[in-house]
Amino acid sequence: MVTEEKCPNDTETLCLAHVVTGDDEVVAKIKGATCITMDGCAKYCAKKSVEETGGIVVKSHKVPDFMKAHRGEEHGTGTALTEDGWNYAVELAEIMVEDVKEIKAGVN
Amino acid sequence: MITTKIGVISCSGEECLGGTISRLAVRKMMEELKPGMVSTLCLPLFIAGDGGEREFAEKYPTIAVDGCSKCCAKRAIEKYSNRVAGSVDVAEIIGEAKALDKPLSTRNLADEHMEYVKQTADKTCQIFDKILAKQ
Repeated sequence: MVTEEKCPNDTETLCLAHVVTGDDEVVAKIKGATCITMDGCAKYCAKKSVEETGGIVVKSHKVPDFMKAHRGEEHGTGTALTEDGWNYAVELAEIMVEDVKEIKAGVN
Repeated sequence: MITTKIGVISCSGEECLGGTISRLAVRKMMEELKPGMVSTLCLPLFIAGDGGEREFAEKYPTIAVDGCSKCCAKRAIEKYSNRVAGSVDVAEIIGEAKALDKPLSTRNLADEHMEYVKQTADKTCQIFDKILAKQ
């Protein structure tokens, strides 16, 4: 949502497995680059892997951190999200859009 | 009753359509085609070496479902655990160019994409059934 719809000119997503396996092309893109990570659980695979690859994680989030305001909602499954699930995804995307704006404001 | 576990690890491919197809194909297996018979593992967690993921793939036959010909899932299983019991490359089913297309939100998937999901899930099921028959 962030990379394709909301900030297509300022962001790019990379395959996490490529990051973790140390794919040359991906490592070259990440090393020294400003990165935002959004992890699905507290294991922080995305954040840890990007940091180990040499990316500069300036903003890091995990999905459960924002769940409090959504208690009781049914978000669907890994196959299909419900309307509430999509609304939550949009909210998470907006958090990253704000991150992008802040980062750009700091850089420019 | 099935007592032996069979694992399926899907590509995490956030970068390409093949990744989306591979993940949905594994979900289709878990929910529709082989409910209660498939154990899936998180690929980034498997590669990062946390939890019992690697141990699972050492002990039980595991199928890799990869979204592109880089075959991260297959390579990871063989590097950290054991030989894969089988592997599926979405790029071989739908073609490399399509597999490397931009990823799609699941809201925007068309019938064409759902057909790719079906073909990938069917191929994975064939491998699954062969493994099951040998046990």
